Amino acid sequence: MALEAVARPNAGGRFIAVAVVAVPLVFVVSGLAIRYAAFASVSAEPGFAAYAQALCRWDCAWYVGISEHGYERFPIPAQSNVGRWGFFPLYPMLVATIRSVFPFPTILVASITSIACSYAACLVAWPLLEKNMRAYVLYCAFLLSGPFSFHFTTFLTEPLFVLLTSCVFLALKRSSYLAAGLSSALLSATRLVGVLVVFATVIQMFRDYRAKGGPTLSFPRWLLGRPDLLVAIFISPAGLFAYVLFLHLTVGDGFAFLHVQRAFGRVAGNPLAFIWDGLSAVPTTGWLPTAPQWSALAALIGLALSAILAVRRQYGAALFCACCIILPLVTNLASMVRYVVGLAPLTMLLAMLLSVSKPTYLAALGLFLSACYFMTVAWIGGYLALV
Amino acid sequence: MPWSDISGRYQRGARLGGYALAAVLAGTEIVILALALNPNVNADYRAYYIDRTTTCLNRDAVGSYTFGETVSFRSDGAKKTAGMMICGWSGPVADGTHSLGETSRLRLKVPPLRDGLTATLQMAAVIRPPQVTQRVMISVNGVRVHAVTLSGKEPRKVSFVIPPAVVAEPSTLDIAFDYLDGIPPSPAASNIYKRAIKLLSFRLDPIEPG
Repeated sequence: MALEAVARPNAGGRFIAVAVVAVPLVFVVSGLAIRYAAFASVSAEPGFAAYAQALCRWDCAWYVGISEHGYERFPIPAQSNVGRWGFFPLYPMLVATIRSVFPFPTILVASITSIACSYAACLVAWPLLEKNMRAYVLYCAFLLSGPFSFHFTTFLTEPLFVLLTSCVFLALKRSSYLAAGLSSALLSATRLVGVLVVFATVIQMFRDYRAKGGPTLSFPRWLLGRPDLLVAIFISPAGLFAYVLFLHLTVGDGFAFLHVQRAFGRVAGNPLAFIWDGLSAVPTTGWLPTAPQWSALAALIGLALSAILAVRRQYGAALFCACCIILPLVTNLASMVRYVVGLAPLTMLLAMLLSVSKPTYLAALGLFLSACYFMTVAWIGGYLALV
Repeated sequence: MPWSDISGRYQRGARLGGYALAAVLAGTEIVILALALNPNVNADYRAYYIDRTTTCLNRDAVGSYTFGETVSFRSDGAKKTAGMMICGWSGPVADGTHSLGETSRLRLKVPPLRDGLTATLQMAAVIRPPQVTQRVMISVNGVRVHAVTLSGKEPRKVSFVIPPAVVAEPSTLDIAFDYLDGIPPSPAASNIYKRAIKLLSFRLDPIEPG
């Protein structure tokens, strides 16, 4: 009897472990099948290479360029105003490194790397989803077979960004601050907003400190007495600072990644005005929302989910996500849908919320899988809201 | 030596090492920030990207030109005009080369001249009511030589004299068009997208002495 009692949890644990590994694999395969079917419906050219190339839209071409040729100096060749400096280096560097070992076309290497990153992000999400299998299935379906799965399986920074964000929050959940700091450093070299995760780290430190009964006002002094925490904080933006130094040495302007936004026509404005303008861009024909309306809705949904995170006392994740939405919103609504779906704490929260009952879980799963096909067709067709 | 002493010494060492690493990280980041706040860039980069005082990023380019030649800035003249257009242009397309931003520039290699030049340009205004006119200031080698107000959609021939003092020394003509009434595609759009004129053709003739 005693042996059975020991063996059963072990068997259950093994089953869960296999399920945790297998579920995202299933969605890797189903996602590939659905997106390939969508690709085949609009393209006469068969094959994985053509498929990977077809999914390489918008910013993807910039990352291919960085991976193959690096960053330009100034003046930019071909008399262009638009340098690659606005695109952060870690992911193209990673792809270039892998390509040096496996000499295949960049987009092929990048697509496989993106799928691997998204798969790994799913595994890291398991403990963050409180080991809730329904939420886990939905989250994996969303990333790998969902309506925006092309963002996580082509050469964009989203796959690495989601993976590293998950690593940071998993490390924070376990109060492993140095691991969180190192992941943050990599995150800050992946996308500019990645550096903002340092605030989540400090908030978690404060919460841990308060949980041990420390008085609020003494927190700075306590922090200064913990060199390990100081290292974790100061190492968090190291990726961004490394890139700033690189740009200073090559272009002469460490903030070239910000200044080059002028050539992309980005101008600072009122985020509320941008949202209002987006919502006001009503369709002239039909009833489907316009691209600006989708973008504005995405921003609002993202901010609402951030507020729910705050209500759930996940203050660090809430602040990080809200900042990651508001910061790009200061310039305009461009890429807002991609930015919001690329925020792992929000998509995990969505998966948790949709998995509360079996009907919502099944409906969401069906919706994700079926929307994957149509959204991939829209992405390949260059639909502006998905940029 | 008691183990507690070793442990204590190790802990102190680790703490000191931690502080040292934190200090090195913070110091490095401050130095990098200081470097970034003092960019080492040329005036053209600074004007376009940092100070945003121009929408026209100067480039090290110059086109060839023979006096008396009428250069088409429509699609048929694309090959010829490509080298002349420095910045602030879009096209050429069928109805000409469109200005882009608040300034456009052309640069031509010319032989030194003792006398001046007559410039003859065919231009049309980009209009979108209530903006129905376009004021254009034309400068050559930094000297204002002409101002014109274009109205209506039809192209108009604009002629002006480039004085000898402007063309006596240099071997290049840097012609700048500044637009005071450029039309942005939307109220929130960047000024780099403003539209003002379409340039259809361009010609320079030396002024005969006497």
